[in-house]
Amino acid sequence: MFHPGGVHGARHIAQSLHHVKNAIRGTCSSKLLMQQKAAAAVAVESKKGTVTPPPTGPAPTAPAAPNSVEVYIDDKMVMVEPGTTVLQAAALAGVEIPRFCYHDRLSIAGNCRMCLVEVEKSVKPVASCAMPVMKGMRVKTNSPMTRKAREGVMEFLLMNHPLDCPICDQGGECDLQDQSMMFGSDRSRFTDIKFDGKRAVEDKNIGPLIKTIMNRCIHCTRCIRFGSEVAGVDDLGTTGRGNEMQVGTYVEKLFASELSGNVIDLCPVGALTSKPYAFTYRPWELRKHESVDVMDGLGSAILVNSRGGEIIRILPRVHEGINEEWISDKTRFVYDGLKRQRLTQPMLKNSQGLLEPVDWEDALSGIAARINRVPGQEMAALVGGLCDVEALTALKDLMNRLGCETLCTEESFPMNAAGTDLRSNYLLNTKITGVEEADLVLLIGTNIRFEAPVLNARIRKAYLHNNLRIASIGERVDLRYETDFLGDSVHVLAQLADGDHKYSEILSKAKKPMIIVGSSSLQHGDGTAVLANAIVLADSLRSKMSSNGDESDWKVLNVLHRHANQVGALDLGYKAGPSAIKQMQPKVLFMMGADDGVVQRRDLAGDAFVIYQGHHGDKGAEMADAVLPGAAYTEKYATYVNTEGRAQRGNVAVTPPGMAREDWKILRALSEFVRGSSVLPYDSLDEVRKRLAEIAPHLTRYGQVEDANYFRQSKDLVWNAARPGHSGQTLPAQQRELEDFYMTNTISRASRTMAKCVTAARHQKSTRYGL
Amino acid sequence: MLVARGSRSLAIFRPIASELLPLTTIDHGRLQSTASMQPSADERGEVVSPKDSQAPQGGPQQAVVPHKKRPYSPFKPTNTAEFALARVDDLLAWARKGSLWPMTFGLACCAVEMMHMAAPRYDMDRFGVVFRASPRQSDCIIVAGTLTNKMAPAFRKVYDQMMEPKWVISMGSCANGGGYYHYSYSVVRGCDRIVPVDIYVPGCPPSAEALLYGVLQLQKKIKRMAKSQVWYRS
Amino acid sequence: MSLIQKTLNLFRAIKQNGGILSSLKTLYVTDDLKWGTHVGTDKYGNKYYENNYYFLSRNRWVIYNPDFHLDYDGSQIPPEWHMWMHYTTDKPPTVKPPVNYKWMVPHQENKSGSSEMYYPYSTTRTKIESWQPAHLRTADTEEQNPKLFNIPQNNRIGVQ
Repeated sequence: MFHPGGVHGARHIAQSLHHVKNAIRGTCSSKLLMQQKAAAAVAVESKKGTVTPPPTGPAPTAPAAPNSVEVYIDDKMVMVEPGTTVLQAAALAGVEIPRFCYHDRLSIAGNCRMCLVEVEKSVKPVASCAMPVMKGMRVKTNSPMTRKAREGVMEFLLMNHPLDCPICDQGGECDLQDQSMMFGSDRSRFTDIKFDGKRAVEDKNIGPLIKTIMNRCIHCTRCIRFGSEVAGVDDLGTTGRGNEMQVGTYVEKLFASELSGNVIDLCPVGALTSKPYAFTYRPWELRKHESVDVMDGLGSAILVNSRGGEIIRILPRVHEGINEEWISDKTRFVYDGLKRQRLTQPMLKNSQGLLEPVDWEDALSGIAARINRVPGQEMAALVGGLCDVEALTALKDLMNRLGCETLCTEESFPMNAAGTDLRSNYLLNTKITGVEEADLVLLIGTNIRFEAPVLNARIRKAYLHNNLRIASIGERVDLRYETDFLGDSVHVLAQLADGDHKYSEILSKAKKPMIIVGSSSLQHGDGTAVLANAIVLADSLRSKMSSNGDESDWKVLNVLHRHANQVGALDLGYKAGPSAIKQMQPKVLFMMGADDGVVQRRDLAGDAFVIYQGHHGDKGAEMADAVLPGAAYTEKYATYVNTEGRAQRGNVAVTPPGMAREDWKILRALSEFVRGSSVLPYDSLDEVRKRLAEIAPHLTRYGQVEDANYFRQSKDLVWNAARPGHSGQTLPAQQRELEDFYMTNTISRASRTMAKCVTAARHQKSTRYGL
Repeated sequence: MLVARGSRSLAIFRPIASELLPLTTIDHGRLQSTASMQPSADERGEVVSPKDSQAPQGGPQQAVVPHKKRPYSPFKPTNTAEFALARVDDLLAWARKGSLWPMTFGLACCAVEMMHMAAPRYDMDRFGVVFRASPRQSDCIIVAGTLTNKMAPAFRKVYDQMMEPKWVISMGSCANGGGYYHYSYSVVRGCDRIVPVDIYVPGCPPSAEALLYGVLQLQKKIKRMAKSQVWYRS
Repeated sequence: MSLIQKTLNLFRAIKQNGGILSSLKTLYVTDDLKWGTHVGTDKYGNKYYENNYYFLSRNRWVIYNPDFHLDYDGSQIPPEWHMWMHYTTDKPPTVKPPVNYKWMVPHQENKSGSSEMYYPYSTTRTKIESWQPAHLRTADTEEQNPKLFNIPQNNRIGVQ
């Protein structure tokens, strides 16, 4: 029994625990088990890295299952499913076997040999990560032979590994460092320091995010397997054999993936490290804050690392329901955008019409003076996708008290028929994990690869291992897996809804179909038709499922939002889309985080007073008469509701810069200045959250997905309304190529790292290797 | 363009020139922008052309740099009451600056130079400066050396035990801003993070002469104290 | 040393300082009364004396310009005389004039405590760069000089 130190070790333990949990729940399917068996077999006989099914399925159980076999790990008996590897069986027995190349979410390579263990009656030590268990197998994980084998492997690894730990960014979270302390020899036989001692490998330039120091590479091939299996980008590979083996991109090119940053976490040594984080801090110097990502609609679980009031880096947290353990590059590297273009002090236009910095009291009283002159009916509010639920609640309460009912989100949503009144209309109803159960996914008007990269990785996983079939409607984009392209306009969708398309039959045969409507297609002129037809199609698929005797409450319709808290805003009763504002031409417009420029000056009354509250100077602040500096997502206690309808809490990692404050506090302060009895009735975060629970209880049930189930009613409403016509234009993908992915909101637009990525992606496209 | 470049080079040189000066004192609450520091030509003594100063300066010579006669008192009272109070302040300051008793607070090598200041060659006694071993008898503390995190609370306690009015001389790079140990995990990056500092003496360590000059600067600062006048005006 | 010599020195000093009254004044200002050869005068009107009768480190001294009165200060000695006072050189600048390079900054006394005092300022970049409204921006911000920062133009996203 041993405990490898360090972050990674802890993570592995957490994962294996998770497996145990799954196993106890008895969720493993026989299909997966078959695949696992095959996986082990394939991995044992060859390391070619051909199609190897996942080791990611639920691990076998300890009790249960009649066909389980008994294995003895250090004389401790465990009952496991046949096909389990020795390493997994050991994990069940609570023994952590050291490893470099093995990773729970990647295929088995078996090439680092660190996991060698002694198996009784076997002459040689056995690579436990690739060895399936056999009945009565007796494994010794701490015998002299095992220890000697590990020590030998470690010595071979260290033979070519440079001794530059003092200047290596992996130091402190390095598997090699930790395991050489645990399992390595206490002395070195390496004496040849003068001449051809260590292998020297040229460093590769694979883009502005990942720094490579290839001398340190131990050829575990985790990065290669990640690229080809998870990201679907076969950029990385090996050249040469034996001592001459090199990991690289063959030709110098960008590692063109929106998930590329994950190889930094995967790399067990310091060969792949983060470029923006390089040489800043040691991991143990950083403060870690659990938080929620806001770069896309999924709300990935993140760990914000800060030091001295600055965010130093962002890492993923494991959340099986959302992001597994991956996060997109935008999530991971956007943090330098939080240090630039920030609003740090309140501003108010002076007599010459120029914005100038003022203090809070002047700003609030100046704004209140303008607000008090205008009746509530002539006011409006517009919110962006990054606003948290607390701020949205405070804004809505304040505006309602002033008599204003026009509160809109920037992102629009078709409002005919049920519109946003039925929650099931705008949620990702089958949840993100639904992808793993589904057997057919129909993507409508979305480039899901860039709008929700982590979800796309999950679809790709299901595509590889579950034979998931994917069909798409809308502009043709490269999703890194094969899709059945049905057409690029609503026309095809209407045909499918009516059942007179040749693909209808395949759709209706699907046992668990998913329709994913991208919210970007709903911004289009044909958006109404997209949603109406999708609702009709989903309903017909559901009725077919139930007529086939499917009792599971499988929800077919899914809407994928692009913004972090669009669902939260809709849950609170914000109107989707700025059309109401454009019609009424308000005299006072309160913009909170609205930076997409959907409402311009010309949409407002001539002397309209525009208040902008937010954290970045962008299109919103540019057109504002008053600017109130708010806090960004790492600077406030905030609730975000992701596209599934899952409320999640973000925590404070650093304090807001300068005079900036948490958004709901600003609105609470403003409410004391404006007319009448408008003072908001909450003074603390707890009281705000109490108010949230009054409005919608699910907003404070953190981590839970609140289901919605009104598909029938929704479809009836669509049926009763006139079927919307459509122009038949192509449904455009808002983010077409990799370069479009990096800058999508006000934070990423301010980020220098993201700008470098865009430049790199454009440059890559211009070379003859392309993207 | 020429003008712009000229002013820019001035802006660059000006702080450096001032930094080269042996000492810097800071009057708390008398902040001013760097822009107002541009000296006029005569104040900088630029009437001396290079040619003139190259010429041998044999024999007695007249002052080349014009200057005013400096009065004893730094105050400029505008009415009788202020005049009277200015004299009170002058008297108080004279008494205080003439018997400046520093608390010995030697922390490192700087303390050796501090001892030199006390020795006959520099002889601080002639300015009424006498080291005391108790904070309750001192009105000034010389932080001579590296202030470590461990020492910081003790230092603050000693400072708090001193009688008002009290002053702090920060001696040497380490006390000024951490100095050589700025990036150490255990060192306070400047004693001004713990207490308000009146005089910073640069050097590593500063010579006894520099420290003595610092004490003289502190005397000048004490001379500018205008407590009774401030009380009258408020 | 005999008492006679000391008395003689006292009389010489009093004579050099211009009588009993002005000797008392010198004593009040400088706490010292000495006699010696007048070596030179600097641009501020400070007078430098030498007398090797006194032991080393007391044999060279300065009598500041009387206009300074009690506000004299070590920084009022120009560098060339400072060298001589501190025995860096044996020859005073009257004998061996200093070389004047054009990069030399004119000497200036310590202005600490006066309205012209030096005030330190930070040259480090702030951790957070604030957004400025258009009329306050300098050309160094990237909106006006995108090439400087490699910011791509015409970003399609966000434009509806």
